[in-house]
Amino acid sequence: MSKLIIDKVSRVFPGVRGGAVTVALQPTSLTVADNDFITILGPSGCGKSTLLRIVAGLDTPTSGRVLVDGVPVTSPGADRGVVFQSYTLFPWLTVRENVSFGLREKGMPAAEQQHIVQRWLERVGLAGFEHHHPRMLSGGMQQRTAIARALANDPKIMLLDEPFGALDNQTRSLMQELLLSIWETDRKTVLFVTHDIEEAIFMASRVVVMSARPGRIKADVPVTLPHPRHYTVKTKPEFSELKARLTEEIRVEALKAAVAV
Amino acid sequence: MTPLVPVSPARKVAYGIAFFIVFTAVWSVATFGGFVSKTFLADPVTMLREGYDLFTVHGFAKDVGMTVWRVLGGFVLAAVLAVPLGIAMGAYKPIEAFFEPFVSFARYLPASAFIPLLILWAGIGETQKLLVIFIGVFFQIVLMVAVIVGSTRRDLVEAAYTLGAKASGIVRRVLLPNSAPAIAETLRLVLGWAWTYVIVAELIGASSGIGHMITDSQALLNTGQIIFGIIVIGVIGLVSDYAFKRANQRLFPWAST
Repeated sequence: MSKLIIDKVSRVFPGVRGGAVTVALQPTSLTVADNDFITILGPSGCGKSTLLRIVAGLDTPTSGRVLVDGVPVTSPGADRGVVFQSYTLFPWLTVRENVSFGLREKGMPAAEQQHIVQRWLERVGLAGFEHHHPRMLSGGMQQRTAIARALANDPKIMLLDEPFGALDNQTRSLMQELLLSIWETDRKTVLFVTHDIEEAIFMASRVVVMSARPGRIKADVPVTLPHPRHYTVKTKPEFSELKARLTEEIRVEALKAAVAV
Repeated sequence: MTPLVPVSPARKVAYGIAFFIVFTAVWSVATFGGFVSKTFLADPVTMLREGYDLFTVHGFAKDVGMTVWRVLGGFVLAAVLAVPLGIAMGAYKPIEAFFEPFVSFARYLPASAFIPLLILWAGIGETQKLLVIFIGVFFQIVLMVAVIVGSTRRDLVEAAYTLGAKASGIVRRVLLPNSAPAIAETLRLVLGWAWTYVIVAELIGASSGIGHMITDSQALLNTGQIIFGIIVIGVIGLVSDYAFKRANQRLFPWAST
């Protein structure tokens, strides 16, 4: 059953001061099944973030439409949890208050909020940091809080826009394992944008490859590596084969993008 | 000296005090050395003696009290009206488009030039003094608050939307708390300007206040009293600024750098 339908969605940005328009996204269609973990892989500037923002309701498509559980998306909402690449925790709130932001907005009783918040903080390994303010946390801890904040709302879909892009390699690997383990338990539908090939394969059940600007879907590669996936899967031959194939796909696009610039 | 390298707290205090020592020394040399006529500039000792007389003989404490009351009254009145308007303008662009041109224009109207008109309208009582301060700071606060609220990080607003917040929630739970420390800092700055306006208001048509004392002293060529009055204003300003700063740090610990 399809959770999310992206139906011929395109996005054209008007030209600056009468200049030529920018086609960020060619009409793109994608169907995401319930409980799927999809990574969208593409070179920078390929419109993958634009596509995610349109699904989130933060941007409006020039043509086409997005359906979540059959209902058209017109604005952002609590049914689509988003984790951004930039650190977007509210600096005036503690970790606990950040995670309960959406629950408070729903008008949930405080006791119930605390229960849910505590559970998520434990799951992302932040128990003991409830009363810290974001500026006292490392980048990795901030993004873990952001993931907990989105999940506490119990969204139908999680949308992640290069959430680990600003983290160092080691932290990044640990965050991938954390997110994957959460998905393996909860099986929440995930749309994850990245330009990192290993990251894309490691977590996904499907890798969608996008072309250089103007963006469109170029390949749709299922990842059949068994779950639960241990980080050692990255050294398995199957993984290497996939990586080699996707590296080739992406390299062609990166070259095109480099020429275009 | 190396650029941007901080000094130790003890040295910082020592340097700060050193300035006042140098300043007083130059002042003393100029006056005691006979380089400047006593008619135009009193020496530091005369100034202190005159200051003592002001409090013991002339009831200067009442003047200081009046001036402080006027500053606070005018400032609070302006802030109470200007901050909500500024927030509304910063948050809602149509409201900003409606008020912004007028407020920008009014900001450049010199408050002191309104004094004759205000005397005509409100007499020479307290209302007139408060109005001078009000006109002087109201429009400034409105514009600065509008800019602060309007420059809230867009990604924080977007994050709040994706967590289910609606328009009122965005204003209440994102724009307001995010802008609060900067608004408090703005008010601290503007309180300093209110002090300038109150003295100007008291120079004309007042029967009490520090500014009134200064005009009186000018008629008597008592430069010691004038300088003492100016120093009192400076000290009160310094103390209130420090108190304001500490209050802001206590209120918004998450924002302190």
